[in-house]
Amino acid sequence: MIWHIAKKDFLLNIISARFMVGCALCLLIIPFTILTNIEDYKNQVRLYEIDRTTAETRLKETKVYSGLRPVIVRPPNPLTIFCNGINGNVGNKVKINFGDIPALTEGKASLRDNPFLNSFFSIDFINILSILISLLALIFSYDLFTREREEGTMKLSLSKGISRTQFLLGKISGVLLTLLPILILCYLLSILIIVLSKGISIGGENWINLLLIFGFSIIFMLLFVLMGAFISSRTKHSSTSIVVNLLCWIWFIFLVPNLATFISESYVRVQLYDNVEYAVKELNQEYNNIFHNEIGPEIDKELNMTNRSWWNMNGGYDGYMETSGTAKEVMEYERRLKAQGEPLRIDYADKKWAIVKDHMDGFSRQNRLQNILLCLSPSGLFEMVSAALCRSNEKAFLDFMEDVREYRETLIRHFELNMWFESYRYITAQPVDQFVSYEEQRAIAQSGNIPDCWSNNNNPVLDLEGVPMFDYKTEGVLSSLNQVLIKMILLLVVCILLSFLILWSFNQYDVR
Amino acid sequence: MLQAIDLSKRYEDGILALDALNLEIKEGEVFCLLGANGAGKTTTINLFLDFIEPSGGQAMINGIDATKDPLEAKKHVSFVSENVMLYGNFTARQNLDFFAKLGGKRNLSKEDYYMHMREVGLQEEAFEKKLKTFSKGMRQKVGLTIAIIKDAPNILLDEPTTGLDPKAASELLQILFQQKKLGKSILMCTHDIFRAKAIADRVGIMKEGRLVMVRTREELLEDDLEKIYMAYMQEMIITGQ
Repeated sequence: MIWHIAKKDFLLNIISARFMVGCALCLLIIPFTILTNIEDYKNQVRLYEIDRTTAETRLKETKVYSGLRPVIVRPPNPLTIFCNGINGNVGNKVKINFGDIPALTEGKASLRDNPFLNSFFSIDFINILSILISLLALIFSYDLFTREREEGTMKLSLSKGISRTQFLLGKISGVLLTLLPILILCYLLSILIIVLSKGISIGGENWINLLLIFGFSIIFMLLFVLMGAFISSRTKHSSTSIVVNLLCWIWFIFLVPNLATFISESYVRVQLYDNVEYAVKELNQEYNNIFHNEIGPEIDKELNMTNRSWWNMNGGYDGYMETSGTAKEVMEYERRLKAQGEPLRIDYADKKWAIVKDHMDGFSRQNRLQNILLCLSPSGLFEMVSAALCRSNEKAFLDFMEDVREYRETLIRHFELNMWFESYRYITAQPVDQFVSYEEQRAIAQSGNIPDCWSNNNNPVLDLEGVPMFDYKTEGVLSSLNQVLIKMILLLVVCILLSFLILWSFNQYDVR
Repeated sequence: MLQAIDLSKRYEDGILALDALNLEIKEGEVFCLLGANGAGKTTTINLFLDFIEPSGGQAMINGIDATKDPLEAKKHVSFVSENVMLYGNFTARQNLDFFAKLGGKRNLSKEDYYMHMREVGLQEEAFEKKLKTFSKGMRQKVGLTIAIIKDAPNILLDEPTTGLDPKAASELLQILFQQKKLGKSILMCTHDIFRAKAIADRVGIMKEGRLVMVRTREELLEDDLEKIYMAYMQEMIITGQ
């Protein structure tokens, strides 16, 4: 009996204007969205290839340990074509510095504004799908009972000896049967476009994640169908029902997600970035004072330095220094300076990180509140679950940054174990046996017979064998599932509760 | 057989729509309920169909209490409403198929539906036409066909001739006559005293939820139903109801 009513509703729906409009909307908007996102993804891949190649080349050309500052480039994930998450707010590369613990990637991200607070108007598949499917679900369910009541068919149907529960289940199944092909069409169309696009491979576990997103889309769609059905069971006229449904749709799709962002930003206060910047600047100043006014003069005194000039020197504020042909007294001075200065730089990096981390924790608290508030909106939940499964949420990004920081620690340990901070190779690629004294340097310079090793360019590059390299880790399906399971169950529980509510409401429905 | 035993309905707003109605319609009998709007006619039908719960008494269909066991009771009754809208985007045959299956008739063929539609006088070309193109009379015939196909021993009709032209109304009565001959108990609520007189074995007049008068066909040969009915109506106008 349920199937019979569902089939009738399905047949009536598919010949209705709203079905045609719904399909047309999906056929127009979904390919446009996917094509835009594919283009965006391809640009990310191109950028990633350039950045990665540049980083690798630079690393291979490194000649001194102080120049060994790997750049980590985060590879783009093809699933971001479906859900871009916070990817639009953050960059994709991080340079490993010993003077700073990286908080964010370079590029778009800024500590001035919270990059983890997702905006809900980005044009990605999941956003568009959540708008379209929720709207269609309400459009097909707003008059589920009111129309039958208005046309007298409900009285006729219920006079036939079927229970209200059977009638209700049949009607809801009918709408689901109608919407399911539209949903499948949206996914198939997107996958087809992606598969036909050159150079994009979804690959392996991502298919399982996509399947999970599809499964969640069905629950999401069911929730809006139930919402429409509930409103229809509480109203007598279709006109009232559609107004209430549209108000609910605007509330859940547009207002709640944006209110969640607004409330979390207003309620959880994060200290001004200017204060953070000032505190960090002060620590830098403090470090520079110790480095230049305490360590430097002390070594100066120990070595009784009279002259401190370099032959060929490149350097930077991040501790990088590369010199050749410099007198061995200066080489020794610089070596000792680095040997004491670099561990201090690392200590100060930790101090700065404590300040920045406090600021970042504020962002995380805002993000947590936003996520809790988003649970009040089905579209917010859908977006959060999809972003988690597409690994484009704040957690995936923060996990990546945590891996980067761990890698930095590993690299520092490697430097310490191999005593690279104390080595001449930290500052020069010139072989130690070819170091010359001031007098020898002056004599050679006067003779004009400058050895090749006095030029930074002519010295050998570092042997990177044994140097720890960053290993980009991606979450497995189980880990992603673990993140979204509670949210999926939450939405299912809401659906079940709503089903009971509709059952109770429809049993009281005045069919006259 | 349809039976109302002390059947009463008081709505939440306090209005007493039906006041201890006692009624019995035997097999092969047509009972017409007349009365002004709000007299309690449709309430009676709604109570037989379990669309509303009675405040007291029982509505029995073939001895089954419609409130206690509505699904079983409804197996023994067919219903034709005032405005048979049906599904406009379905053809007449599709509408019949849907409601026939809901009523438990699952093995009917296309030919069976055509036969029933012919019986009620629908033209062949209308069988596969969408219902939204039908006139009210034609839709009412489809509604009646739905009731006939169910082949239940009782038929409830709620103002079935409203809005029909005289020809269509008389055709509808012809069909009801056939059903009466087949032994069906028929309860028809109507404003149409002429049709009621033409078809009813008994006529009842309802006023303020009470069945104030019942006359048999034989009694009506002597009494003027129109006068009696108008007298009740006049009384209502005088008392300002």
